[in-house]
Amino acid sequence: MLSSIKHYTSVTWEYLKLSILTVFEYPANMIGWLISNPLQFIVGFATIQFVVKEFGDISGWNYGQLAFLYGLAIISHALSMIFFVQGWFMGFFVIEGDFDRYMLRPMNVLYQFCFTHFNLIGITDLIPGICVFVYGCIQVGFVFNLRNIVALLAILVGATFIRGGVYIIIGSSTFWTKSVADFGGYTQEFFDKTTMYPLSMYPESVQFILTFVIPIGWVSFYPAAELMGLSKDAFMPGVAPLISLGAGAAVFAVAAVIFYMGLKRYESAGS
Amino acid sequence: MAVIEVKNLTKEYKVNKKGKGLGGAVKNLFLREKAIVSAVKDLSFTIEKGEIVAFIGPNGAGKSTTVKMMSGILNPTKGQVLINGKDVAKKRKEVVMDLGVVFGQRTQLNWDLRLGESFELLKRIYRIPNDRYEENLRIMNDILGINEIIDIPVRQLSLGQRMRGDLVAAMLHSPSVLFLDEPTIGLDVEGKYAIRKFIKEINRVKGTTVILTTHDLGDIQELCERLIIINNGELMEDGPLREVTERIAPFKTLVVEFYDGETVEHEKAELFYHEGNIAKYRFPKADITAAQLIEELSAKKEIKDVSIEEAGIDDIIRIAYQGGNEKI
Repeated sequence: MLSSIKHYTSVTWEYLKLSILTVFEYPANMIGWLISNPLQFIVGFATIQFVVKEFGDISGWNYGQLAFLYGLAIISHALSMIFFVQGWFMGFFVIEGDFDRYMLRPMNVLYQFCFTHFNLIGITDLIPGICVFVYGCIQVGFVFNLRNIVALLAILVGATFIRGGVYIIIGSSTFWTKSVADFGGYTQEFFDKTTMYPLSMYPESVQFILTFVIPIGWVSFYPAAELMGLSKDAFMPGVAPLISLGAGAAVFAVAAVIFYMGLKRYESAGS
Repeated sequence: MAVIEVKNLTKEYKVNKKGKGLGGAVKNLFLREKAIVSAVKDLSFTIEKGEIVAFIGPNGAGKSTTVKMMSGILNPTKGQVLINGKDVAKKRKEVVMDLGVVFGQRTQLNWDLRLGESFELLKRIYRIPNDRYEENLRIMNDILGINEIIDIPVRQLSLGQRMRGDLVAAMLHSPSVLFLDEPTIGLDVEGKYAIRKFIKEINRVKGTTVILTTHDLGDIQELCERLIIINNGELMEDGPLREVTERIAPFKTLVVEFYDGETVEHEKAELFYHEGNIAKYRFPKADITAAQLIEELSAKKEIKDVSIEEAGIDDIIRIAYQGGNEKI
């Protein structure tokens, strides 16, 4: 077990090193994303500002609280982009036979799928996320004490795994459909609409689904409500960050099971 | 000791039968007719330690499917593959520690970075101790001159250089079994020479068992003592090159040069080539000797020159690919 952890850690560092070297190999690529990615979120946030100015609030959340939620959502989005963006492109791996090489190496296939390429471009999403989040923190007077920091970390880890798990579940469908589809656009649209705004603005049936069936509510909405002490929207007060973490583990476990069921049907590609 | 045991290996795919045109497509939507296609049928053979085996067959014969089942990429529908006694489908991670695989058509090297970075990664993935890693790189440098290209980004390597890099990558963890899927495809003469030399050397120095699929006759002739021919997913021939030749191509070719463009026929030999003054006759070794044939032909028409060709590897492959039942 210990030697296994050491093994995976050493390989992970090497993957990270190679990813950094690759970024340096193509610096212009990074600069392009550095301009376009933050722009996308800044514009999105400007839209919220407009809505709040016109209507006063969204589902009872004021401007500062919305910035807190929006920022938190972008940060976990960025983290999921760094670690799990491959899930969006699993169809290509299935059709092109790109799992062959992973199957030939003495390591967990899902681990290799996620970590062989760290997508450091995701950092360009992290920057606007942190900016908006810090702005929101100042607006709502969020205190960075030990308890809150631990809670934030738990939320971010859980949220990243919820997102990553969903990417992998959706991506794994291509083991059955055998069609190349880029799920990125839909997935991001779905997550943006459900994590960047208060869930309470949706009908109750949708809220129910996004709380218990696909636990998207735990990516940002419930934990943000708890951290800001919004008792109207808080759910499971006191343990919401832990539930985020647990939901992340659960979604990812389901994703791993589905992934390996799919991998059994893997047919490689004609040589 | 048997390094590889393939037992009753079968791979079936379910495919949907497709109806013609729009009507057929709509009908397919509701009534799915499944057809089962067998890519590999009940294949069995064993390979001993240190053998170099050519695995050949026409495109679509099931070679790649078999190699992929042997290396754990595909799950067999029936049957099993044991490598060093371990079931490949059940103990993937253990088996691949002792397996090197090179696909000629795709690389496992990191395209964007210098070649050496790919080796460093593999060192960690396979947990290769430092001294063994250095030792293997040294051996690989002796055979393939890898140090000349180790600092060049993979995308800038020529196909031949890249293939050298891939071979080293496959051998860094000292596997006892090496699968090469069309390793010489697209290479120039020098590139092919380097790859063949490499295969011979690691087989000699390290006793590595090598299984290669190829369409290159030179590869087979130079490297392989044993031939496994498959067609339509079934084993057609398995044996030493010479034995297979005797069995499926028991004939020789007599090349005759006449004084003019006219030729003569002979009932025991097939005139299969005629251009200008040159005629080629294929005759079964069992029915008639070359001396007899020359004598009888020259009785009919004056001969200027003759030469005799043994059945070559290309004849064997041609016949085997046609199903092995072609008359000479």
